[in-house]
Amino acid sequence: MGGWMGKVLEINLSSGETKTSPLDMEMARLFIGGRGLGARLLWDEVGPGVDPLSPENVLIFTNGALTGTGYQTSNRFSVSTKSPLTGTVLDANSGGYWGMQFKRTGYDALIVRGKAVRPVYIEIKPDGVQILDASHLWGKRVRETTSLLGQNNNKRNVLCIGPAGENLSCMAAIMNDGQRSAARGGPGAVMGSKNLKAIVVEGNERPEIIDQEMFKFMLYEARKLLKASPLTSQALPEFGTSVMLHIVNTIGALPTRNHRQSQFEHAEDISGEALTEKFLVKNDHCWACPIGCTRITKTDKVEGEGPEFETTWAFGAQCGINDLAAIIEANALCNDLGFDTISAGSTIACAMELSELGLLDSDLRFGRADLLAPTLEAMAQRQDIGAELADGSLRLASRCGRPELSMNVKGMELPAYDPRGMQGQGLLYATSNRGGCHMRGNMLGLEVLGLPKLIDRFQVQGKSVFVILHQNASAAIDSLVLCKFTNMGVGDEYFARTLSAVTGIKYATGDLIRTGERIYNLERLYNLREGFTRADDTLPKRLLEEPVVDGPSKGWVSQLEPMLKEYYRTRGWDESGVPKPAKLKGLSLADMTEVA
Amino acid sequence: MIDERIYQQFCEIGRDLYEGGMISSHGGNLSIRLGDRVIIKRRGAQLGRLKMHDLIETGLEKNDSGVALASTELVVHRAIYMNTPALAVVHCHPRTAIAFSLSRDELVPIDNEASYLLKKIPVVTEEFASGSPEMARKVAEALAQYKIIMLRGHGSFAIGQTLDEAFHWSSTLEESCQIELAAKIINEPFIEYRGMTKDYSKW
Repeated sequence: MGGWMGKVLEINLSSGETKTSPLDMEMARLFIGGRGLGARLLWDEVGPGVDPLSPENVLIFTNGALTGTGYQTSNRFSVSTKSPLTGTVLDANSGGYWGMQFKRTGYDALIVRGKAVRPVYIEIKPDGVQILDASHLWGKRVRETTSLLGQNNNKRNVLCIGPAGENLSCMAAIMNDGQRSAARGGPGAVMGSKNLKAIVVEGNERPEIIDQEMFKFMLYEARKLLKASPLTSQALPEFGTSVMLHIVNTIGALPTRNHRQSQFEHAEDISGEALTEKFLVKNDHCWACPIGCTRITKTDKVEGEGPEFETTWAFGAQCGINDLAAIIEANALCNDLGFDTISAGSTIACAMELSELGLLDSDLRFGRADLLAPTLEAMAQRQDIGAELADGSLRLASRCGRPELSMNVKGMELPAYDPRGMQGQGLLYATSNRGGCHMRGNMLGLEVLGLPKLIDRFQVQGKSVFVILHQNASAAIDSLVLCKFTNMGVGDEYFARTLSAVTGIKYATGDLIRTGERIYNLERLYNLREGFTRADDTLPKRLLEEPVVDGPSKGWVSQLEPMLKEYYRTRGWDESGVPKPAKLKGLSLADMTEVA
Repeated sequence: MIDERIYQQFCEIGRDLYEGGMISSHGGNLSIRLGDRVIIKRRGAQLGRLKMHDLIETGLEKNDSGVALASTELVVHRAIYMNTPALAVVHCHPRTAIAFSLSRDELVPIDNEASYLLKKIPVVTEEFASGSPEMARKVAEALAQYKIIMLRGHGSFAIGQTLDEAFHWSSTLEESCQIELAAKIINEPFIEYRGMTKDYSKW
């Protein structure tokens, strides 16, 4: 068996039982691993109407068929669950070392069910699986917890939650290797609801590679392509992901002050260039990654990883803040408390607007960098104003009577690209299965960077086909599980051939993309089963009705409706956004037709 | 109604194909996929001189009146879209590549650019090499594994997310074949400059 380890570990925290079962290989062939396998297992595990923070919800940790093989960026793992933030299907994935080490334990997936009566952590080692007391760790922050549990990058890796997860914030992240995060949608709160503080992995197994010669050639070609791409060989290593900030701002697509504007006048101050010049200590990288986009930065108060572009935007432009040191410190705090930085930053931005309008009693105002850290601390503990913000911008804005001031899709805060200046990105957000997210496919490549070739960012007709292709490709990459930056240099055909070499199963490029399509449709079915409808495939009113006031995107709103109609037709869904039986049959999802 | 921006893309690539010597006056064709619709060049239209009415929209799977006007290669383009993730197809007649296709079952580039981008280009044989269902099936099957293929003695079919991308593969192939032809004329031993050279033929 190439790529897969062939085993699933099941742990019930209510009963303390652990069990190993064989991986369903037909399921593996159809869904690969990571996000795909997680979605398929979740379909059976968590039925409609389950409270995400109840013991009936599960956490499914998965690696992919390429994880741990040594292929470029094959370090990642995925976690699937029902999201407490959105109520949708959720997966979040993360890099670092933990995913690689998890693969070495000999498992393709770990399913955690139930709820422990007191705080515990799980330890998976070659000599067995244990559920251990974590009373001494409860209440501790991420860095300290990781250190106390003996993090050692190549031998023993720690995944845990911080106070945000313990206190069930719907924006809580699962953190691994100290400062990496599977963050979006609140998986950390699900972990907290189970009284599960951490999972520690140590392993000594390796995945088999069936066609070693071809695999070596694929490694060689990927290395060549990643070196040749200026993005992966120069821009990301030199400036980190924040290299995008200037680019997105220049075209008038950088949401600013809770999306009231699309360009930030102080972008220069928070750019990747400024980060490198003033705060960079050194670069770092995840296991088996030749790109090395990780920043180790330092201010007078903190030193650590980050911030990423999205984080810099969320605490920067979105909050009207140009104090890069304060942004770095907010990022470090989020990592230590265990928060999703995009949702945390955008929720604070929403609170700033509500406060300025007199709808929320707080001192928060756009530009108040001094309030970032105390607000995050309060959010993690659910104290004072933090109690209002702890569960995200939609709940906050709804309580204040203005839900439309939450910049979200399906309850998840939008990331750093304004759909008014990137029409395809708006359609992508609206139809994202986990809510407003740029990692379910991203039109940045096509609409801005020219990857593989530049298309007109304002074009509406024909845009859906690009969005669908990229959503499907993203689902496939998330199932391998690889870093999305790899495909800024390496195309889908390379991934398909590498998967074939590793597993011995022939995947043409179209097979891989079709796998992504299968996953996307399954996730859609999950959301339909939960009661989501066409009405949820939308954008904030501001982006649909308030034209951009100035800059290169001046006068534009999102032209969502015609794109959405074309999208449903192209997907093989009916006018209500429900996959047609013929489509499901063609994707080997015929068993799920009763939902449709 | 076809968007003006889409028409412009067809015009630019069509003109470049003609001026680059990749097609004769009325040869070749272009198409893009728009969901469950296809936009393709009108039968007999000149790619180098496209008018808006030369773009025909028809169904991807279902026929409508558009098929009466569409390129004779519509069946091939449809098969490609049904069997691959392609969103655009460029079919042209690159002369040097066609000449090499007459004696080879695959083209393995010797130059850096095409080695980097294409690795290997399979050659497909079909007796009825123009608009037949047999040809459509063979071309679509080959394009499931490769982004550009040669139909022996006829021309190339390239796929991409955009016309621009598929044109890129087409022009890279022809350039590579011209380089190989020139190298044959020079007729001196090669000095290998690539790593893992033998593996390209396994692609």
